[in-house]
Amino acid sequence: MRNTASLVTGAVLILLTLGIIMLYSASAMAGQEQYQDPQYFFRRQLVWLILSLCAGALLSQINYRIWRRLAVPLALVTMALLALTLIPGIGTTVKGSSRWLRLGPLSLQPSEFAKISMILLMAWWMSRIQRRAREFVRGMLIPSVFLGAMLLLVFLEPDFGTTMLIALVGASMMFVVGVRLSYLLIAGSLGLTAFFFAVMHNAERWRRIIAFLNPEKYEASEAWQLLNARYAFVMGGATGAGLGQSVQKRFYLPEAHTDFIFAIIGEELGLAVSLMVLVLFIMIFIGGLRISVCAPESFGKLTAFGITMMITAQALLNIGVVTGSLPTKGLPLPFISFGGSSLLVSLSMTGILLNIARHSIAPGQEDEKLFRNRKDWA
Amino acid sequence: MTKQPFSWRLACVLVLILAAFGGLSAKLFWLHLNPNDALRLKIQKTLKFEHKISVGRGSIMDRNGAVMAADIAVRDVKVDPGKLNAGGHVQYVAEQLARMLDLDLALLLNRLQGRTGNYAPIKRFVPADKADEIRALNLPCVHFDEGSLRNYPGGAMMAHVVGFSNLNGEGSGGVEQRYNSWLRGVEGYRISEKDAHKREIFSRRSLDIPPQEGSDLYLTLDSRVQYYVEKALHEAMEEHHAAGAWAIVQRVRTGEILAMASLPDFDLNHFGKVDPEVHRNRAISFNYEPGSTFKVAVIAAALNEGIITQDEVFDCENGTWHYGGRPLRDYHPYGLLSVQDIIKKSSNIGAAKIALKLGEGKLEKYLRDFGVGRFTGIDLPGEEGGLLYSRARWSKISVTRIAMGHEVAVTAMQMLSLISAIANDGFLMRPYVVGTARDCNGRIIYRAEPEVVARPISQETAAQMRRLMARVTEQGGTGSRAALAEYTVAGKTGSAQKPVPGGYSDSAHMASFVGFIPAENPEISIIVVVDEPQPLHTGGVVAAPVFKKIAEPVMRYLASRPAEWHVVGGASVMEASP
Repeated sequence: MRNTASLVTGAVLILLTLGIIMLYSASAMAGQEQYQDPQYFFRRQLVWLILSLCAGALLSQINYRIWRRLAVPLALVTMALLALTLIPGIGTTVKGSSRWLRLGPLSLQPSEFAKISMILLMAWWMSRIQRRAREFVRGMLIPSVFLGAMLLLVFLEPDFGTTMLIALVGASMMFVVGVRLSYLLIAGSLGLTAFFFAVMHNAERWRRIIAFLNPEKYEASEAWQLLNARYAFVMGGATGAGLGQSVQKRFYLPEAHTDFIFAIIGEELGLAVSLMVLVLFIMIFIGGLRISVCAPESFGKLTAFGITMMITAQALLNIGVVTGSLPTKGLPLPFISFGGSSLLVSLSMTGILLNIARHSIAPGQEDEKLFRNRKDWA
Repeated sequence: MTKQPFSWRLACVLVLILAAFGGLSAKLFWLHLNPNDALRLKIQKTLKFEHKISVGRGSIMDRNGAVMAADIAVRDVKVDPGKLNAGGHVQYVAEQLARMLDLDLALLLNRLQGRTGNYAPIKRFVPADKADEIRALNLPCVHFDEGSLRNYPGGAMMAHVVGFSNLNGEGSGGVEQRYNSWLRGVEGYRISEKDAHKREIFSRRSLDIPPQEGSDLYLTLDSRVQYYVEKALHEAMEEHHAAGAWAIVQRVRTGEILAMASLPDFDLNHFGKVDPEVHRNRAISFNYEPGSTFKVAVIAAALNEGIITQDEVFDCENGTWHYGGRPLRDYHPYGLLSVQDIIKKSSNIGAAKIALKLGEGKLEKYLRDFGVGRFTGIDLPGEEGGLLYSRARWSKISVTRIAMGHEVAVTAMQMLSLISAIANDGFLMRPYVVGTARDCNGRIIYRAEPEVVARPISQETAAQMRRLMARVTEQGGTGSRAALAEYTVAGKTGSAQKPVPGGYSDSAHMASFVGFIPAENPEISIIVVVDEPQPLHTGGVVAAPVFKKIAEPVMRYLASRPAEWHVVGGASVMEASP
């Protein structure tokens, strides 16, 4: 299991290194423009990176089992913070979204913390009831209620991307534990319908969907970002324009150092490096699943699975959006995009994952049979 | 751990996620290696940055560095009417602009209210300090474009020589036109790429032709000399109710022009407000029959050929001589006159007889050598070349008419050059008005050199002619009113009727005087032409006093000049700056 942990650690460190270099490259123009300081974003991200690495290292040393007891209080605190952002005057509103809470010099994004809280809460509940996961009330209703409550708070900010991400990871956790597929499908359809109506209700969201379907027609407006991200990859070609040589980051591509940084990586470093990023996330995914399968008991298994899914799904959604495969929604690329809370939460989750890896046991030695073929553990 | 099979649900997740990764990898391959050249071309077109770098126009100075033409910074004021209306500040902004820029408020409001779009010009060429005052008011949606405007501090001073440049910065008259390419400089040109805020990305510059600022020009003209000339001409215009008057002052050794004026004149800063005819520099572009001043050329030719001597006597027929069936008359009747007196008294009959003795062929050759009928080559636009028909087209009496300055036309510049050649030991010099050009770094890129065009007569003939012409201003000569107390003036008067369709006018005359000072060792030559003086009309009465009025202060001024004055626009940079 040490090899798996090293694999995950290595992949994360490579992504962080690439990330901080590319962040400097992608944000220098914006920093110069907005703050007359090309290192503005870089220095902030560097501080957050050091903090987050410390947090990750610390969490990898703390026995993950304490999170089982802390799961409920953490979830309550997170939901309280999410509710606070909705109160005008307390939450900081940027571009129409109240996602931030200011704490002195720091601004925190409670929706990021909602990710980890949801994983722990779901793992706590599902590990308690796993043998009765097929029951409707325990397996479906109760988790749906607390998952739904958390999703609603995130959705109201509004943060559509994170809502979808948390819903997806929560559902996948319920799925692997063994909640009836029919329940999940029905709940999923209901949720999607509700989401669809919410999107229809919001004119801006709707235009983004339409623009996604005919980008050329909306080149100067809604599809501007989408098309300029595509241009970045085209300009990068096989070998890339060279580090620091991106043109798209010069204000053609909005959010070049945050949600769309992957396009700048593609433009400056070419196909090899953008594929490498994908491969690194696949390594984290495979490694995380192995840690999950080899965890000693079901809370650890589920927590590891949730964390793995969270990081992987977020990377997939982000890259899907940036490559124009999915409609635009605001999600940062884990370990790379600018954003302190995102970095802190990603590395904290990695820390917990690595701690679970330390407690892994040889195959067949588990006290609980989660993830094994039903015949063996039922 | 693979010995035991996994749950099918976990396997589902694994497969789904890996499939998604696979799909994204395929998409990345497609995006990066997309062979869509049209798209690449489109992106490059979006990025392309073309920039013309405009440069300042050079200044024009007189020979001592006094500025006659220079660019001043101005701003074009414009507003964004769409935003202004949206913000609801139209009334306030219009009031402020109308007050600051002296505009009619009602008209301005009418233009701005309810208008969409993002550009409405308000006023061009607002002085930079005025624009700064407006800027300080912080009016919303008001913008300023930088520009420059040509300014002529001298107003009408040297108007026809300096010329003017139009509102597009292209020289359209005088030195401004002739030397436009030097003054204008070379616009820079840059091809590069731009960011989304339309600013150049310096590292992507693919072509960079640096701009070259316009060069400064130093005229050979001296403002002080010019002032004396213009003052004398203005007074003459008024005194003789003339239609026009022009004069040129030339240094005989070099051919450089010290002053050139043509009345009526105009303020260069408002060149558009006068009849374009006034823009014409008549000192170089007005062909007129020179009249008696021309006799000097005929007699100089005859003396140079040695077919007459200065004491040879001709019968002036008591004022009327029939030749070729046509009468030829003198203004005052004379009997026998020596060649010296023919010049002094300006006898038409005497001059005609000398020309006849010289012969048609020699006469035409000498006149052409003196530059008659040919451009002087002065560095100003719009020069006329005068008119001298070739001998084949002459009638029997043409020789006698040309001898007294009829049937031939010259410009004042040509006539003066001819006289200057006599003053300059027979060397005909090319006249010029620009002495020195310096590039924007102060390096001299051009310095005019005196240029000999022809040598019609010998040094001895020239010296003899100078003595004969000095007698014109003596007591009893036609040009006695041009005489100075301190210097001997050599010169010749001229009076001619203006040609009108079918003959000559009885009432319209051209009065002129041309001469040089001092007669023995000439420094400068001056020509004065007065167009249609009323009622007095002879050169001796009308033009000779103007000549004196110019020559007197100019000679005093020149005598006090230090040696550096002779070098137009200063010596080299090293010597000029301490």
